[in-house]
Amino acid sequence: MTQQLYAWLDQRLDLSALQHFIAEKSVPVHKHRVWYYMGGITLFLVGVQVFTGILLLLYYRPSADEAFESVKFIVSQVEFGWLIRNIHSWSANLLIFMAFVHLFSTLFLRSYRKPRELTWVTGVLLLFVMMGFGFSGYLLPWNELAFFATKVGTGIAGAVPVVGDFTMRFLRGGDDVTGATLTRFYGLHVAILPAITTGILGVHLLLIQRQGMSVPPSVEKQEKSGATIPQMPFFPHYVLHDLMWWYVALGVLAALALFLPWEIGKKADAFAVVPPGIRPEWYFLAMFQVLKLLPAHIMGVEGEMLGVLGFGLAAMVLLFLPFLDRGAAEGRSSRLVTIGGVIALAYMLVFTIYGYLAA
Amino acid sequence: MQPHVSRAFLSLALVLVAAAAWAEAQPPAAETGCLACHRDQPSAALATPARDFALTDVHRDRGFTCVDCHGGDPRATDKVAAKAPSTGFRGKPTGAAIIAVCARCHSDAALMRKYAPKQRIDQATEYATSVHGQQLAKGDTKVATCVSCHGAHGVRLVGDAQSPVYPLNVAATCTKCHADSERMKGYTRAGAALPTDQRVKYETSVHYRAMVDRNDLSAPTCNDCHGNHGAAPPGVDAIANVCGTCHSVFASKFALSTHSQIFDRGCVECHNNHDIAQPSDEMLGTAQGALCATCHSEGDNGHKAATSMRAGIDTLKTAIGHSEAELARVENDGIEMGAETLTLREANNHLTLARTEMHAFDPTIVESVLAEGMALTAKVDAAAEAGRREVSYRRTGLAISLAFIVLVVIALQMKIRTLENRS
Repeated sequence: MTQQLYAWLDQRLDLSALQHFIAEKSVPVHKHRVWYYMGGITLFLVGVQVFTGILLLLYYRPSADEAFESVKFIVSQVEFGWLIRNIHSWSANLLIFMAFVHLFSTLFLRSYRKPRELTWVTGVLLLFVMMGFGFSGYLLPWNELAFFATKVGTGIAGAVPVVGDFTMRFLRGGDDVTGATLTRFYGLHVAILPAITTGILGVHLLLIQRQGMSVPPSVEKQEKSGATIPQMPFFPHYVLHDLMWWYVALGVLAALALFLPWEIGKKADAFAVVPPGIRPEWYFLAMFQVLKLLPAHIMGVEGEMLGVLGFGLAAMVLLFLPFLDRGAAEGRSSRLVTIGGVIALAYMLVFTIYGYLAA
Repeated sequence: MQPHVSRAFLSLALVLVAAAAWAEAQPPAAETGCLACHRDQPSAALATPARDFALTDVHRDRGFTCVDCHGGDPRATDKVAAKAPSTGFRGKPTGAAIIAVCARCHSDAALMRKYAPKQRIDQATEYATSVHGQQLAKGDTKVATCVSCHGAHGVRLVGDAQSPVYPLNVAATCTKCHADSERMKGYTRAGAALPTDQRVKYETSVHYRAMVDRNDLSAPTCNDCHGNHGAAPPGVDAIANVCGTCHSVFASKFALSTHSQIFDRGCVECHNNHDIAQPSDEMLGTAQGALCATCHSEGDNGHKAATSMRAGIDTLKTAIGHSEAELARVENDGIEMGAETLTLREANNHLTLARTEMHAFDPTIVESVLAEGMALTAKVDAAAEAGRREVSYRRTGLAISLAFIVLVVIALQMKIRTLENRS
């Protein structure tokens, strides 16, 4: 019966070719291979977000009058609603964390070098989209902290030269953060960003499958000097490794969801006094802290605008890094990229901690 | 539009602008001959009033000048002519003359309607009923008149924060005289010398802290209890009414109690007058420091009632504290307890209500309110207990899930090893 079904599908979908591809596919084995699993964990967390997000959709109501109450209802009345909401919140944060780990491991191992430039570009774009998910999702519970943080965050978007004012009004759906912003962020969070993610993620995964795993330059050198790099079959060896890491991530998520439940806070009130300690999510904190520290004017130019432009430039450098570091393809590891990566990592760590302490 | 019509409009506009500019350039109404001479007088007593009046004064702002109070002819250049009897010159009014001068306008309903239609016009009548007014009628010129509190020149509106009668400044204004032991010498009340420590005491009171620390201008200061123009100490029979102006519920409960018949000074018996402290549960009961024990002794009904009411209030307070701690613990574990928090707030309301009902000194009423409060805390405790069970259930679930996950991870690891060994 199973064989008959397989044969039926094979005739139509050419499953044998796929089976052959999977059977032939192998993954290089070396001392840095642990970093390969970071992308897999990130992908798993995307899956968790989709699953829990769909469940939350069943009860969440995206209006200023009902959003907060509906989240309260989910965590107090809906069977296992507390678990789904906590996992969704924690998984969102772990997802961004793992995406950063994946990004920096790829950067330090120079996995972006030719011919994987597009894999890197789609990966960086995915990171930006994930941060967009985080920014839009933060407001959805419509609590005080998220409300004022969104006000500050969208206000920063207003500092972008020329298009800043339009961007801010576009994000807010008006002059200020209101119920219109909530509806807009909801649409962004559950429809627009998922559609963009599906497209970019599809390309990203396709490229990985087509090009296979990159090996670090040091391993590549050994290969070029005649040494044989051991390989492990993609299926079942690598898939089982991935699966094991996914289980570990699931265990961590469950424990976090139970022992560190995500707060609901107080319902947003536009007329309330701005509560102390307003800050964005941790992955925006380093940028936020720098913007706070910048003087009002630097050489006659608005400090915040310069800061936003600086971050925009850094994002462009990150996005097009494979095209800037051309030597990597020839096996010449640029010290500048390593130093830049270390500085970026140190900056994120120090300013995120500083942001928490300052708040 | 025709050109000549346009020109006419333009000319009219220019005339209007010029008229407005001329009006702007006119000296204020107070700029009279009186000011011109008095401002430069070497004697401060003569110069300061003119300077104060020229600087700021609510009357000056409305077009009144020196002559409206003092009489005289401001157009005369000669001092003698300016103050000739034919000019109606009154000089500096003192004592009852001040009241008459101020009342000339302030008791005139038609005139006051033009300037401050909502303002009362019975200040002079009220003043006559005040201790100040009565003493003045007896010929005592040391007592306060209008200018003592409002100032004579440079008078500001009551709502002006710099006015001496602005709520925050009233205590200082009254005690300018009432804290001056030398000035108050000779004044007595009920045979005893008038105290001069009212302000010191008031500054320790809950009312002062509300007004100064919390900037609550509705909190009472001297005139809220004593009256302003009709200032007098509230009579013994009026104290409960005076306090009840704000504390109406307490006053109505107290009126039902036997104490209202017995207490000579009403509320003041327990709460004092100028130095009203923050009321506390410790004031009730028969333990050390409690006020009831001052009159009641062991065995009498009052003693029993006070002991029972205090015990009941303490029990509810403890129960609320316990419920709060339980709620916090369960909420900290991630259980949403919003409804129970509201119930607990309701229990707190019952505690407040019991403290209010206590003023009727009827233990049965207090006990019934406390019982309702206790029922609410019991409800919250039951919900917290259910919350704790839920936490325990979740933790058990997590432990089982984690055990399963660990088993799967171990199994996968073993499988991977087997596969790797095989290859």
